[in-house]
Amino acid sequence: MRPELEEIQLLEHFLGGRLPAEKEQEMEIRLLWDQEWQQQVAQQQLAYHAIREAGRQHLRHELRAIHQKLFG
Amino acid sequence: MQTLTNTVMAADIGEALVRDREKTLEEIYGKAYPMVLHYVRQHHGDADDAKDLLQEAMILFYERVVHEELTLTASPTTYIMGVCKNRWRRELEKRKRQQELPPDVSERVKEDAGAEADQPLFAIAPFVAQLGEKCKEILVAFYYLGQRMEQVAQQHRYRNVRTATVQKFKCLERLRKSLAAYSIHHFR
Repeated sequence: MRPELEEIQLLEHFLGGRLPAEKEQEMEIRLLWDQEWQQQVAQQQLAYHAIREAGRQHLRHELRAIHQKLFG
Repeated sequence: MQTLTNTVMAADIGEALVRDREKTLEEIYGKAYPMVLHYVRQHHGDADDAKDLLQEAMILFYERVVHEELTLTASPTTYIMGVCKNRWRRELEKRKRQQELPPDVSERVKEDAGAEADQPLFAIAPFVAQLGEKCKEILVAFYYLGQRMEQVAQQHRYRNVRTATVQKFKCLERLRKSLAAYSIHHFR
């Protein structure tokens, strides 16, 4: 993968608590002083938030169809 | 013994929801709806209230079982009924409070309710839809519906899990970029 994607993957593992302890600590320290890194983390979280909203809409749509099928 | 049986069942329900979602949701819905409808009708509500209530409770149920690995100590319908009863009680209290307010204030409260605290400042789900069907499906399937990359790769006919994973990160990158462009434009 190209470096930008590797970084997104790293952020994903960090946010999911899946990094080895040492690496995780390194990331947390970087978060304290690196504003760009803070922004990277915030952007990634916003993206997951958007996916959750889209996912809920998807389920809502499926549930409406189920209702229609069973009780409509 | 009872707990053990239920734990096994709970693990199965999580598996079933991820692997065979629509069928599993349909089975639970079919059992729960008549119960919710009966309850809501006895408590000042109608069929539309019951439908909305159940659908939101099932979304919560899905998220808790699939993402938070909730261990059920009762059947899915018992859990869902509990959520529905709680939420319906709160809804009735809210409606009662609104009735007690003068009409113009009551209208304003209703409008404000649309912008609840845990909602972001702008609708963000459309950013996922904008990415196109393929990206939207991959992102929602993996991150929200909790499918494994093997399943995602197979459904979208990728050569292997690695190719699908790269694609997933590309989609995530595009989503991040469009969200970043929007928030910079609107909030700076």
